[in-house]
Amino acid sequence: MSLALFLSVFLIAACGLIYELIAGTLASYLLGDSVFQFSTIIGCYLFAMGIGSYLSKFLHRGLVARFVYIELMVGLVGGFSSSLLFLAFAYTEAFRLVLYVVVILVGTLVGLEIPLLMRILKERFEFRDLVSHVLTFDYLGALGASLLFPILLVPKLGLVRSALLFGIFNAGVALWSTFLFRGQLGGGYGLRAACFAVLAMLGAGTVFADRISSAADNSLYADEVIFSRNTRYQRIVLTKWKDDLRLFLNSHLQFSSRDEYRYHEALVHPGLAALPGARRVLVAGGGDGLAVREILKYPSIESVTLVDLDPEMTQLFTRHPVLSAMNQHAFSEPRVHVINADAFRWLDGNPDRFDFIVVDFPDPTSYSLGKLFTTTFYRLAAKHLNAGGLMVVQSTSPLFARQSYWCIVETVKQAGLRTYPYHLYVPSFGEWGFVIGSLVPYEAPRQLPSGLRFLAARNIPELFSFPNDMQPVPVEVNRLNDQILVRYYEREWKDIAR
Amino acid sequence: MSTISWDSTLASGTRRQFLGLAPALLLARKTDRPIGGAFVNDSFANGHRLRDRAAFRASSRQIRVPIVIVGGGIAGLSAAWRLDKRGIRDFVLLEMEKQAGGNARWGENDVSKFPWAAHYLPVPAKGESLARELMEELGVFRDGKWDERALCFDPQERLFLHGRWQEGIEPEIGSTPKDREQYKRFNDTIAELRATGQFTIPMERGARSSPLDRGSMGGWLADHRFDSTPLRWYVNYACRDDYGASAEDTSAWAGIHYFAARDPEEKGPLTWPEGNGWIAQRLLEKLNRYVRTGAGVYRIARDRSKLRVFTEEIEYIADWVIFAAPTFLASYIIEGMPPAAGFQYSPWLTANLTLDRIPAQKGAEAAWDNVIYDSPALGYVNATHMSLAAHVERTVWTFYWSLAEYTPQQARTLLLAKDWNYWKEAILNDLSRAHPEIRQCVRHIDIMRWGHAMVRPAPGFMFSAEREKWLKPQGHIYFANSDLSGFSIFEEAQYRGAKCGDIAFR
Ligand SMILES: Cc1cc2nc3c(=O)[nH]c(=O)nc-3n(C[C@H](O)[C@H](O)[C@H](O)COP(=O)(O)OP(=O)(O)OC[C@H]3O[C@@H](n4cnc5c(N)ncnc54)[C@H](O)[C@@H]3O)c2cc1C
Repeated sequence: MSLALFLSVFLIAACGLIYELIAGTLASYLLGDSVFQFSTIIGCYLFAMGIGSYLSKFLHRGLVARFVYIELMVGLVGGFSSSLLFLAFAYTEAFRLVLYVVVILVGTLVGLEIPLLMRILKERFEFRDLVSHVLTFDYLGALGASLLFPILLVPKLGLVRSALLFGIFNAGVALWSTFLFRGQLGGGYGLRAACFAVLAMLGAGTVFADRISSAADNSLYADEVIFSRNTRYQRIVLTKWKDDLRLFLNSHLQFSSRDEYRYHEALVHPGLAALPGARRVLVAGGGDGLAVREILKYPSIESVTLVDLDPEMTQLFTRHPVLSAMNQHAFSEPRVHVINADAFRWLDGNPDRFDFIVVDFPDPTSYSLGKLFTTTFYRLAAKHLNAGGLMVVQSTSPLFARQSYWCIVETVKQAGLRTYPYHLYVPSFGEWGFVIGSLVPYEAPRQLPSGLRFLAARNIPELFSFPNDMQPVPVEVNRLNDQILVRYYEREWKDIAR
Repeated sequence: MSTISWDSTLASGTRRQFLGLAPALLLARKTDRPIGGAFVNDSFANGHRLRDRAAFRASSRQIRVPIVIVGGGIAGLSAAWRLDKRGIRDFVLLEMEKQAGGNARWGENDVSKFPWAAHYLPVPAKGESLARELMEELGVFRDGKWDERALCFDPQERLFLHGRWQEGIEPEIGSTPKDREQYKRFNDTIAELRATGQFTIPMERGARSSPLDRGSMGGWLADHRFDSTPLRWYVNYACRDDYGASAEDTSAWAGIHYFAARDPEEKGPLTWPEGNGWIAQRLLEKLNRYVRTGAGVYRIARDRSKLRVFTEEIEYIADWVIFAAPTFLASYIIEGMPPAAGFQYSPWLTANLTLDRIPAQKGAEAAWDNVIYDSPALGYVNATHMSLAAHVERTVWTFYWSLAEYTPQQARTLLLAKDWNYWKEAILNDLSRAHPEIRQCVRHIDIMRWGHAMVRPAPGFMFSAEREKWLKPQGHIYFANSDLSGFSIFEEAQYRGAKCGDIAFR
């Protein structure tokens, strides 16, 4: 009898912790920034438990029945918590609100459990033993849950089912209590019926669990999510719709398989084809290997060095069958050297020189990324150019972010390079811009490698002509101590979003 | 001004009460991680021995050397820099600590280099010829351009208020039209004062005895009807940050000097991961052969035309002494010197926190200097801010606290009375206002206690007869510490030191 009692303490403690872990994990997964999510969730949860235990003193009569109802409510709210959160993220604007309401609700209910149970049990045990045993099992339950969660539950069951499973445990404890405390309860058929009803709902939930979680991730992106992973540096998501494969990094579109050839051909060939003797190439950023694929079309190239921060990204594009097919297995070529390092620091500490440098970083959405678009960076990159070499820089959209684009061009110029700005249309991006920076005068190539889908030598001059709405505007230069570009960029894209 | 006593700050953090809820306790314990650290480099012991005139070991050797510099802070190093430039090789610099640099000392661990106190140099204006000359020598100023890697990266400063970070340190979030009107009027008033030409760097160039010195900065604000709360916070912050004293305890002339003396041609300041320790290291590289560390001077005696300078190892017999240690020590060391009356010093506490991960940010991105509104402390400077890397995972924060809410004497007593654990908790509680999860990020906290960190420009001190008196040499003893300027900044230390180096032994 007493073991059974304390076993239920063990179970409800485990359930309580699991819901908290689920909320924390889900929030980190969907919002990123796990430290912040976990600390605020733990904080709210503990605080809510405090509210629960405070409230417990206002419950007087019929303690057992109330305990059973509370268990059922914990089971329902906790059990459906992750389904609810997934759906809230996908279909509403108020994910954080729902998150904290759920956390506080579950916390308050869980906070009520132990004080109530102790009061129910206080007649049966010495106070000293009661406290000791209840707390012991409470701790044990928490330990069990915290071990089970990362080892078994998340990898095997996933968040939606784990929550439902533990909801079932709570409801089970409720049902079981109606038998354990028969004496104090009297009747209790209505209670048992409620228990069965809740168990049935949770059971039904597990059947639909799969649909809930994939529905949630999918509605964020227009297309079906086929892959998603949080690496140390970013969240990588791949979506697919018919033959269109799209890569998102931190929800920013990186390419669409339908038109990425336009982007990458335009990024590489106007520069590289103008350097007939080029042998050594550096790609900074561009961990998808698509620029490398274009570079390898030149038989004269002896080595391509790719410096990208994220090893998971380059591994994915080395091993994943669909993705490595996209870059034609560029990363498995012996001529290609992949280095996972911070590009700025790597350039600073490395003496190598190159004939052609491709600078393909994500847009300057923050001051830390903005550093890669400064005079200091371009000056450093220029030091790594062989005589007669040149570089090309991904420079955001000259149409949507006109000041940002011309700011990048001006910054390359201030770094002591001749600049040759050009642009093209990429359907999934819109108008997109690049700039060639060169130590010697640049002349557009008259010949290109065969088999290109977008570029033809005769069209190259057109790329360098800008219509009226993309003409240069007055801009300041982006410097490490004054990152005007980040401010231009933020303002321009905010205007677009509206 | 709202200065929150840190006893209440501390109390809010130590609320480990039994809640009757086992999981709560379990989780509370789970999230706390052990944090290592200690007090480092305490110079109290040395200082107290001098003060108490304790017995020192008699020097076992005598060395004759024409010039002795006492103190290896920026002032002493600058004196050595000038002597060396003049081709004088026959001198030594005696530094009490194991590491020279004084307030420009620095440290290093597996994550980064970091400063222990002075952490920046405002971009020197055209008139600051000495600072420009040194920066040119060190390659920071070349062909009329400042080294991009030494100019503080964007974003320079941010302020945490009303629950989020804003860019810049002048309070903007929640400021009213009246506040903004007063900011503008304040800036206009400062511009007028700047135009008078009396607020210069080095201060000696323009300073003329002024009635402003008689009142406090707080009083000056009140007299000019500057009553906006954020503006007063801002000015008080500047006084606490630069002089270690509240606006009420700061001479209005000095308070205004902070705002009016600078009009930089380039967005700065100049800074390095180890702060002004970078400059100290470059100077030490040039001057190493003159520098003796662990060589505290405990007595200087006149012996006919010679000066006998005693350390525990060696007695130096010199013709000239450049005394670049804090001036208040002169009466304890130099025979027959009266106490430096009127010289008050602010005690400080600085700490270096090693973080294994960067806490979440709400609002503006992490800056170099990060200030929390309404905190009794001064915020923290991020040592990895000057890294080129786009992605930084670990860092060191230098935490500054001038204890300006106490009298210097009270603060000194407190610094000595409380243990490391107490200060560690106080620091973490302060930071948790803006970074609730700070305890999960910090691995190590080393704390330095500075009993007499910097001279305090109390009302009346700038143009006092006392300060004037110490500007004159005593026979062949020259005084060079930055405290002679009435406030302590790099440029004043350099100016005082270099000036002595230029005239000594002529
Ligand atoms: C916390 C803090 C932050 C600061 N931040 C800045 C900043 O960012 N920018 C700025 O410009 N200024 C800053 N300052 C001001 C700083 O004091 C000056 O910039 C400058 O470093 C002062 O140099 P100094 O040589 O005059 O004095 P100190 O640096 O105090 O040098 C005196 C030296 O004398 C030595 N000494 C003392 N007694 C003896 C003895 N008996 N024998 C031998 N040697 C002895 C000491 O050990 C010390 O090395 C800061 C000061 C503090 C305290």
